[in-house]
Amino acid sequence: MIENREMRDKLRKWREENCRNSEQIVDVGEELISEHASKLGDDIWIIYEQVMIAALDCSRDDLALTCLQELEKQFSDSHRVKRLSGMRLEALERYDEANKDYDAILQDDPTNTAARKRKISILKAQGKSAEAIRELNEYLEQFVGDQEAWHELSELYINEHDYGKAAFCLEELMMTNPHNHLYCEQYAEVKYTQGGLENLELSRKYFAQALRLNNRNMRALFGLYMSASHIAASPKVSAKVKKDNMKYAAWAATQINRAYKYTDTLKRHIVHLGGHAEAAMKQYPLPVFDSGWLVAGPRRTNAP
Amino acid sequence: MPIQLTSQAYCKMLLHAAKYPHCAVNGLLVAEKTKEKKKDSHSEPVLCVDCVPLFHGTLALAPMLEVALTLIDTWCKENNYIIAGYYQANERTKDSRPNQVAEKVAARISENFSDAAIVMVDNSRLTMSCFEPIVVIYDHHENKWKSRDVTSDCFEDWSEAQKITSALLEGRSYENLIDFDNHLDDLRNDWTNPVINKSVLDLC
Repeated sequence: MIENREMRDKLRKWREENCRNSEQIVDVGEELISEHASKLGDDIWIIYEQVMIAALDCSRDDLALTCLQELEKQFSDSHRVKRLSGMRLEALERYDEANKDYDAILQDDPTNTAARKRKISILKAQGKSAEAIRELNEYLEQFVGDQEAWHELSELYINEHDYGKAAFCLEELMMTNPHNHLYCEQYAEVKYTQGGLENLELSRKYFAQALRLNNRNMRALFGLYMSASHIAASPKVSAKVKKDNMKYAAWAATQINRAYKYTDTLKRHIVHLGGHAEAAMKQYPLPVFDSGWLVAGPRRTNAP
Repeated sequence: MPIQLTSQAYCKMLLHAAKYPHCAVNGLLVAEKTKEKKKDSHSEPVLCVDCVPLFHGTLALAPMLEVALTLIDTWCKENNYIIAGYYQANERTKDSRPNQVAEKVAARISENFSDAAIVMVDNSRLTMSCFEPIVVIYDHHENKWKSRDVTSDCFEDWSEAQKITSALLEGRSYENLIDFDNHLDDLRNDWTNPVINKSVLDLC
């Protein structure tokens, strides 16, 4: 039996990190609400909200309704609570009624971003991707700084295989978050998927950039290896470009092997890699590294 | 040549879908490599003994998929397996048709295994009790993917598969299922899922 304090801390951590571990939230939250409601003070309202949303995710309409009713009693005319009521209707697939709730909020407050985003989510749930994309674009014209929305739009575009537009969304995110290695790495993946030599070179650069921002980003490391290998293998590149990319690929391959060695996950320690990487590895001297693997970027070879 | 699923392959697919109910998930199906090519091998079903869960969320990006195919191919060679199929569970409950991603990956698999199949999970019928098989199997005929009726014949032992899958879903084993995405987040995560495999064996 874990303590009240511990449970509250867990719920807070999950709120702050925006985790979608709904089953765990329901487990912890339900117990907290039923056993310790009186000891929660004002925290109880935000916990009701968190648990309600998690309950919807787990088809626990009983629990969701309980939380919603407590919130409606306490905050009778709140837009925030009305949005939760709408979300419950969405979970029950009563989309027309949910839309009515959201339209009512927007009637009252046209700048309510939460209601607008819920309406777009309904379109997504109904499989109306083209409309969802259109509405989200309109939303972003007005709320240009909404990063969550830009990210959602990039995902919608990726699912429609419109990689050019997905890249544009990620460019917006990279501009406003230049130190975020995840956006860099995703952008590189989109460019790689778009294909063609120019996009491959861009993807390699952004994988490398993601790696500089976070030297533990395994996707960036693998991406660097793949993109450099493909460029080196292309018949359209000059001998110098070929040589440079073989060097990058070889460096990445070494790092990958090193990473697997350190983690000792699988029985085999060496990842089998393509032919030209192994050839290049023999040709170029290997940099010396610390136990914190991946200290240097592709161009630097200084020992720590 | 139709495919057949073992309990291990079937339950890991469903555990993957259950772990990420709000995302699309996908993975590869592997079969044991047989050396001899019998003349009437067209009537022998291909037994998919295991599956490797790949990704959750965005499935339509190429680089990590290529990495996964390479690493898993190597693993297959070491274990005398061959990649024989692809599974996918779409994001929305009511959507269980193979999309462009599924067809592309399956086409890639078909280059090395001519009878590659696509197995789609029917999300709308996913329950704890698993009374009936909830997959739809697609075979490639005349340039199109056509669905086939799924009966208990598509399983090595349906009642065993049903029992094991139901038990693992109830026990929330999916919390411990590792897919390739989890592996990329932390290399210590083992996508061969030895822990789950052992649970399956214990229940057999």
